[in-house]
Formats: sequence, structure tokens, C-alpha cells
Amino acid sequence: MKRIFDTQLIGPFAAMVIVALIVALTTERFLNPGNLSNLSLQVSIVALIAIGSSIVIFAAGIDLSSGSMVALLTMILAQMLKFIGIPLVLALPLILFAGGLLGLLIGLITAYGRIPSFITTLAALIAFRGLALTFNNGSPIFSLDPALEPIFYGKLLGVPLPFFYLVFFYALAAFTMNFTKLGREIYAVGGNPAAAVLTGINVRKVQTTTFVIAGFMTAVGAILMSARLNSGSPNYGQTLELQAIAAAVVGGASLAGGRGNILATLMGAMTIVIVQNGLNLNAAPSSVQNIVLGLIILLAVGIDMWRAEVSALMARVFGRASPGKTSAVKKEA
Amino acid sequence: MTRAAPLWEFVDISKAYPGVLANDKVCIKLMPGSIHGLLGENGCGKSTMIKTLSGVQQPDSGQILHNGTPVTINDPQAARDFGIATVFQEFSIVPTLSVGENIFLGNMPRSRLGVIDWNKVHRDTARVLAEMDVDVSPDAITGTLSVGEQQLVEIAKAIAMDARMIILDEPTAALGEDEIERLHQLLRNMRSRGTAILYVSHRLDEVERIVDEVTILRNGRVVRASGETEINVGEIVSAMVGEDIGEHYPKERNATEDAVLEASGLATNAGVIDASLTLHQGEVLGLGGVLGSGRTEIARALFGTDELTAGQLTLRGKPVRFRREIDAIRAGLALVPENRKFDGLFFNFRASGNITAAGLGGLARFGVLNLRTEEQATHDLIRDLEISSQAEEKTVNFLSGGNQQKIVIARWLFSDSDILILDEPTQGIDIGAKIAVYRLINKLTRAGKSIILISSDHDELLAMSDRIAIVQHGAIKRTVDAANLTHNDLVRASAEAHQTEPTEVFA
Repeated sequence: MKRIFDTQLIGPFAAMVIVALIVALTTERFLNPGNLSNLSLQVSIVALIAIGSSIVIFAAGIDLSSGSMVALLTMILAQMLKFIGIPLVLALPLILFAGGLLGLLIGLITAYGRIPSFITTLAALIAFRGLALTFNNGSPIFSLDPALEPIFYGKLLGVPLPFFYLVFFYALAAFTMNFTKLGREIYAVGGNPAAAVLTGINVRKVQTTTFVIAGFMTAVGAILMSARLNSGSPNYGQTLELQAIAAAVVGGASLAGGRGNILATLMGAMTIVIVQNGLNLNAAPSSVQNIVLGLIILLAVGIDMWRAEVSALMARVFGRASPGKTSAVKKEA
Repeated sequence: MTRAAPLWEFVDISKAYPGVLANDKVCIKLMPGSIHGLLGENGCGKSTMIKTLSGVQQPDSGQILHNGTPVTINDPQAARDFGIATVFQEFSIVPTLSVGENIFLGNMPRSRLGVIDWNKVHRDTARVLAEMDVDVSPDAITGTLSVGEQQLVEIAKAIAMDARMIILDEPTAALGEDEIERLHQLLRNMRSRGTAILYVSHRLDEVERIVDEVTILRNGRVVRASGETEINVGEIVSAMVGEDIGEHYPKERNATEDAVLEASGLATNAGVIDASLTLHQGEVLGLGGVLGSGRTEIARALFGTDELTAGQLTLRGKPVRFRREIDAIRAGLALVPENRKFDGLFFNFRASGNITAAGLGGLARFGVLNLRTEEQATHDLIRDLEISSQAEEKTVNFLSGGNQQKIVIARWLFSDSDILILDEPTQGIDIGAKIAVYRLINKLTRAGKSIILISSDHDELLAMSDRIAIVQHGAIKRTVDAANLTHNDLVRASAEAHQTEPTEVFA
């Protein structure tokens, strides 16, 4: 257990708590039970997609396609439910499969076609959005299925269902990354692909697998998105890929690959959503929200880059009065 | 010989880092027209001295005298103004720029209009290169040159700025034998023109050849000062390590008659033309040859990295075919690559992740790793190979080169390989760590494992190999008992290719 809850979690956790405190102190309605429940619903989609984005980043790739893939998959789902008449119980697994398949396609082109993932997923970002527009003449499809909404709004023992999805998928992802051969190979490929080849790791297969995981998790997010709005739309999921990547980065994942903790991504996602929520409650326009999101990403990477300076500063400011804080920072460095 | 006044003199220079006294009252005199060797194990304070002299950092106490006058070297620019040029181990050239641009980088000659005077850049570069007897075009893109030529460009920078004092940190780590000779000739020319040269190297054989006087550091202190030490490898080694280490090359002969790996007529598209060899159980088979002769490529061919276009591999009498690395690894082969930083280590992992990387299959059940077994195995290997115990807690970038190399070797012990290909296993590690690697080689062969050793250090190759295969132009010309070869034979055998080449052209 020492490994999952390692020092990599301290920074993102502290960031999340600080942000939550600031928002709670400045915004009256933040701590209302209704708002908190809303918050967990809000975080669920980006946090689930961020699992895939993070795993791709751990293997030194990047996935820019998830937002557009969400739009495409909600349109396919809507098409199946509304016009083809495929029952929900069959349509959902098909969407998950389709997500995995799209991820596989991206992975194969990236790993075996030797095209940087930044380019393949940028191409996918543009093409998937276009593909989504080919359904229903580019118009959203509404009122899909009455059984769809409870997937997002349903509760178990009074707790919203998305909470359970988060627990399930994050537990699975944390287990995979920390305790399985695949997880270790993903970190190895991200850390040093040349060395991974020479130790017999099938680097291309591992890279491809990360995109399959990302595609699958995007499909999970797409289903929740459809359920939340009981519709499919080619406009859904815009900038979702950037929020998911931001969650990983705020969680301390290195874009160079090899370093990062999946549970920290969850905290990163929560940090971002809390900030957005705070701005929403204070009626800040979306332009301001985007500016703030940009600054958060910059700050998160900055803190990572300036670690030595930050810990020296902490040591000077806090001195010997609080050795706990400085040593925590040092351990992380 | 009358001793002239020293160009530079360190008087009682001390420098402390948190927890370490890196330089403890170091005194050194650097004479014009003299090549001064600076030796010592990693962490002895050599780098600290170089940094002080090149203005990268300031000493805590002590004096630096320039022609007898106390001076301070505030920053690298000040060092340059004093005529000090430093050629660091890690190149500081820009691979996408031309040779001329690199040589004058940061100091581009300008015409009256303030634009770069390209004619002058070209002319001056050509002059410096001609002076150095280096046949490289000033307009060549530096990244396309061989590593050796890039190193010479680095030195050309020092000459172009008319340095009175040049510091070379491990200048030959990436060079082949003939390139080393060329560099040495260049240094001798500079010496005769009165330049002071500070030469840092781990390669004692070449120190013996080139250096006029030696200063040896241990734990931040000068243990042998200039003029005190005869340039004698045995004495230098014991002064550096601080104990009489006995045999510098503790070779054990464990070779048997049983052939484990046979290669006949191997060829690849990567430059192997005709490689045949037989490796016996418990044997160390050395591959000798110049840089670029195809030794590393033969290793890659054996390991399944490069596809074979011809030839046959036989493992314990059975023909085998390795389509990729994992096939070779499963068959018991291991490759410790030449460049451990780029091809060997995972800097994001602690020792455990590095050690088990090639043996994850044995650690996993239904894909789930047994982390307790991993920690235990790592702990045992760290103890057995005497790796710093810090490796258990910290990622491997914190470790010394010797410890890092042992970790890469430990990886193949964990995966239970019995044929190890070691490509330049002691490059850039200090003498104590080298001897540890030699002892490890003995331990492995004693346990019945077989080793293919690639090394550019001729003394090491001769001493540690049972037999040596001479590699030229991607082909193994012949294999001889190491005992029947001398250093000179090996140099000549390696160089033969270069002498025969022109005659072929003119024939």
C-alpha cells in the first residue's frame, strides 16, 4: 500500500484542499449538500476520461482525441437508440467496444506507423468531430431512452451512481498501474523506450494498449454524457480532452512520460472542477473559467519544474518551525 | 629543465557542499606548455576543481593565482576572458548548426553593419581546422559528423578563442583508437606552443602515454601532487583507491570446452558482414576493434535487435532464430548496452524496477506482480553486488556510474541469463567500480555463465578475455588466445583496416 499512497499524492492533495478551502470561504453556497452532490456529478465525466489520458501520458504519449470521440460516440449511441432501435443493454456494450476500437486504431497508427501521438490524436480530434457531424445532418438527437438517464442520475443507498463508477474505475486503474506487469511496462516504456526494447518489452504493443484503454474510458465518459443530457450531439465534449490532460498534469504526471500517479489524477480533476464550480457559483463568465484553467496548468507544471526552488523557499519561510512541511517537499523532490 | 612560473595556481582551495567537503585545501600548479593529468575516483572532487577553474562556481576559501597575481573568476565569461577554455564531458555543441557556427557560437564576428560576417566565420573556421589537421568542412552540419569529429569541433572552439589554458574532462570517452591518437597529437602541438592543459581521464593507459605530470585527488584532498608521482599505472591506481588493490585486473580463467553459442557467417543490414564466433561455457570472449568496426552491431545481431540477412545461430547445439529481443532473452541471452544512460536505465524507477524489468514474466502470476518477491530479490542483489543501499529508496539517477552499471548487470542476473554481452561495461566509471565489474565477471564465469566483452580499453580487453575476436569492417577476421596478444598487436590488428584501405583504392 506504501506504493499507491506515496509522496506523489501529497502535492496534488494539498492543492485540492487549498483550492476547496478558498472556494468554501469565498462562496456561500459551495458547501450546500446540493452543490456537493452536483460537484461529484460534474467531476465524474472528466475524471473517468482522465484515467485514459493519464495512462497514455505515463507511456510518454498524449491523447487529444477524447473530446471529439465523446461527441462521435454520443451520436452513434443516439443513432442506435433512436433510429436503428437497438436496445439499451446491447447499445451500451457496443459503444464501449467502439471506443476501444477507435483507441486501437489510433494506437496502431501511432505505434506501428511511427507517427507521434500528438499528430495522430490531433488528426483524430478534427476527424472525429467531423464524423460526428455526418449523423442526423449534424443536428443533436434528443430524448433517446427513458432508461438512459438513471445511469447518470440514479442513486444507490443515497449516493449518486457516478461516485461508484469513479471508485470502481480508479481502483482498477490504480491496481493495474501499481501491481500488474502491464502497469510496470507502461511506466517503463514512458521512462525509457530504448531501454524497454532492449529488456524485451513489446513497446509498440504497450503503447497501443494505452490508447485502447483511453478509447474505452472515453466511451464510458460518452455514455455518462449521453445519459446526463439524454441526447447525443456533435458539439459535446469540446475541450474535454484538455481538461482531462490538465487533470493528469495538475496531478503531477510528467508529460515526458514514466512518472505520475493515477490517484493523483483524480485529485487533479477534482481541483479543476472545484475551481470551475467556484467560478460558476460566483457567476464568472466561461471566458474567465478558461483563463483560470490555463493558469492552473501553468502553475502545476511550474511547481513541478521549480521544485528545488520551492522547497528551498519553504525551508526559508518556515525554517525549523515546521520541519514536517519541508521534509515532505524534500521527499517528493 | 628549469621550472617556469605557473600560469595558474590553486592555493588551499576549499569548497563544501551540504554534507560533503568536495575540495579540502587543494593546491595545484598548472604550467604553460605542460599536460597535467588530474586523476581520482568519482566523487573525489575533480569536477569541483574544474567548475572552480572555469568560473561555474566560487571556492569557499583559498586563492587562485594567475601568473602569480590573486584573481577571482566570477563566471564562465570571466574564465573565457582569462583565456581558459573548458571541454566538458557532455558536449555543448548544437547538432543542427554548422561547424563554423558552433565554433563561433556566442562570439560571432560581425561586420560594420552589425550582421554576422559569414566570410570571416568561414575563413577562421577553415584556418583553425587546418591548424588542427582536421579534415571537416566548416559548413558541415555538426550533427552529421562522427562522435570523434564532434569532439574535435569542441576542441576547435577552444583553439579559436586562443585559449592559454584548456581543460579537458574525459575527452576520449567517445573516441576510437585512431581518433585518440589524433587528439593526443593535437594536444602535443598545443603544448609546444605553450598552452597549459589540464587533462582528466579514467583511462590510465592513455594517461601514461600523454601526461607530463599528475595530481591525484582522494576525498577532496590532494594525495599525490605534481612531480611527486612517477607516471606509473600501478602506483597511480593505489594512490587513487587509497589501498594496495593487488591485481588491477583480477582475471580468473573459468572457460570450459563446451560451446554454448555459435554464430556462423552472420550478416545484417546494420553493418555486420561476416561474423562467426564460438562462445564456450564460462568463457570471456573479447571483441576487439576500432570504434565503428561493427562490434556493437555484432552484439545487436546476436541479440535479435537487427534482423539477420545471412548466417546461422546455434545455441547449445540447436539452431535458433531470434526474431526480436524477447526471443533472445527467453533463450538466456542478455545485453548490457554501451550507453547505459540512453539504452539501459529507467531513471523513473528505483533499483527494483530496473532490476526486474527484463524478468517481469517470472514475477507475475496472471499478470499481477509479486512486489514482495521483487523487493526481496532486489535487496539480495544489491547486497551481493555491493550496490549502494540508497538504490532501494531512490530513483537510479541519484547513483554513481558504477552503481548504475551494476544495476544493469543485476537485471540480467535476476532474469537468470547465462550468456551476457557486455558492451563497454566500464566506460566512464571509476577505477574502484571497474575492479568491482571485473570481479563480477569472474563471479559470473565461475557460476558457468559465458560473456562476450566489448571494450575499447585494450588493456582491459586483453586482461579480462580468454580469447579475443578481431573485428574489422563488420567481419570477424580471426579469433586468438588473449594470452598470445600484446597491447601493440591489438592496436595494430585494429588499425590494419585503415592501412589497407588506401592501398585498395589505389590498386
